[in-house]
Amino acid sequence: MKDLIKIGIPSKGRLRQDVLKIFHRNKLKLISERGERDLLGTVKTLPNVSVFYLHAREIVERLGDGSLDCGFSGLDLLKESEQNIQKKINVIKKYKFGIANLVIAIPDQWIDVQTIADLEEVAFEFKDKKKKQLRIASKYPRLTQQFLFSKGVTQFKLVHSMGSTEITPFTGSAEVISDITSTGETLRANNLRILKDGEILKSMGCFMISKLSLKNKNLKKMIKLFSKN
Amino acid sequence: MKSKNLSEKILRSVKAKGFKYIDLPSVIEANHIVQRSGENFRKFIFSFFDQNGSELCLRPDLTIVSCLRYLENNLKGREKIFYNGQAYRKSNSKKDSIIRNQIGFEIIGSRDEKNDDKEILNTAIKSLLNIKYSSGTLKIGNVEIFNLLIDKLDIPKRWKLRLSRHFWREKYFNDLLKRLETNSDVDPTIVEVDKKRYLKMLKDNQQLIVAERSIEEILKRFDKKVKDPRRTNKGKNVVKIIREFLKINCPISKAAEKLNIFFKKNKINLVVDQKYFPTSNNKIQKLNVEFSASFGRQLEYYTGMVFKIDIRTEFKNRNVINGGRYDKLILDLGSKKEVPAVGAALTLNY
Repeated sequence: MKDLIKIGIPSKGRLRQDVLKIFHRNKLKLISERGERDLLGTVKTLPNVSVFYLHAREIVERLGDGSLDCGFSGLDLLKESEQNIQKKINVIKKYKFGIANLVIAIPDQWIDVQTIADLEEVAFEFKDKKKKQLRIASKYPRLTQQFLFSKGVTQFKLVHSMGSTEITPFTGSAEVISDITSTGETLRANNLRILKDGEILKSMGCFMISKLSLKNKNLKKMIKLFSKN
Repeated sequence: MKSKNLSEKILRSVKAKGFKYIDLPSVIEANHIVQRSGENFRKFIFSFFDQNGSELCLRPDLTIVSCLRYLENNLKGREKIFYNGQAYRKSNSKKDSIIRNQIGFEIIGSRDEKNDDKEILNTAIKSLLNIKYSSGTLKIGNVEIFNLLIDKLDIPKRWKLRLSRHFWREKYFNDLLKRLETNSDVDPTIVEVDKKRYLKMLKDNQQLIVAERSIEEILKRFDKKVKDPRRTNKGKNVVKIIREFLKINCPISKAAEKLNIFFKKNKINLVVDQKYFPTSNNKIQKLNVEFSASFGRQLEYYTGMVFKIDIRTEFKNRNVINGGRYDKLILDLGSKKEVPAVGAALTLNY
């Protein structure tokens, strides 16, 4: 079909629920032939649109390689992606949902560490006195690395985390973490504290388009539709 | 072909100075680099994983590989070595090549530091005879003098260490100076809250470990930090002295004199003599020889004398030789003690 629009929607979580609300508010009925678990769908009133339910991280990747024309994902995931991918994506609309901060958090008992400057000193103490690198666990290694470099922290080792990052300082796999948090409750519950100047990024749900699809005539319609609310 | 001939000529001139040729591996374990410089070098390196999951990388720098060789082969005593080959680094600038053809020479494990500094500089200058150029500059700095100055300043020890550690990172160093000027370092309101916690934690088991740090260690640092003197005017004065110091530029023959006038004016109990510098000649070949107090900020590992040679060839200015002393590099790579080392590298990418 000419000028078919392929749109990515997060396949699970709160981001999915909030995105579905946008469709509902715009009176766009999503249809999945094989029920709720179907990862493919259509929109009843938009015959030129195919819907793909994907992981929010995957949506960013697929917008980058042009296999999706537009989609919904988090700003954090876009900013964490490779430069080559980011260059191929435009953020059209930042929504008021999915709001969360990517932050640096330390064990609450480290009362001598209030700021990133303190962390930098502790990192050097690890190197000089303990002869090891301070380990920082994160699902966002790129953003964490860039942020810490910009604040003068260079002596650390990144530990790539797949999930439950909050527990790593207490399991011995890292001392410090960077993680996404909306209320800070999970961090507090896990005996962690956000550094005073430890905010790396403010994130939110976004509508994004692939620059590789700019020639698609139907893309403008999508931009108009999803940038209003 | 032209560059191969040039490279051979330079290698011959280095060999004639009594340096021994060594081969260096192109691929090393990335862990060596990360262990030494944290994630800092990672942004430059091309890394990949072997069949066992060990991370390897192309050598980003020949000096690090040469120091690793000294360490891993358990070498002792003085070694005068030279090598050539490619170093591979990522770059954000399209102008920079990711492959750098380099010739390096070093003196490792010798305690005759000042004479070794001279020998490395002389070898660099001799190598330059093989390159056609119309004019140039030999810039000399000394990171040790900066550290001596910092040590004499009236600021908390934490700040002294901080400034010494970040001297080589110009942008961040300037941010640090701004913070020192305004004393925006310790938040008194947070300190008050944490003091209650501090008193409570004093009753805890001091040997208890929280994320690799003992309670004793945490409380000791907290105590030291809140007791740091931090009067605003002191910070401002210190920053003024540092900024003024970093502006000192002069012909090399005047370096000691200029520095001593500066120290005296600012009531800093320091005297340096001209021996700190590997030469006092203001003109060597077609090079103007200058001292710059702020020079030495290219690489984290320099600890003493540093130099660079820029030349003008066919209407273009090029940096051809960089060198200096890095006495802590082998220690950082895992040695039990400091091993003195000084060296220089010629970049042949032109």
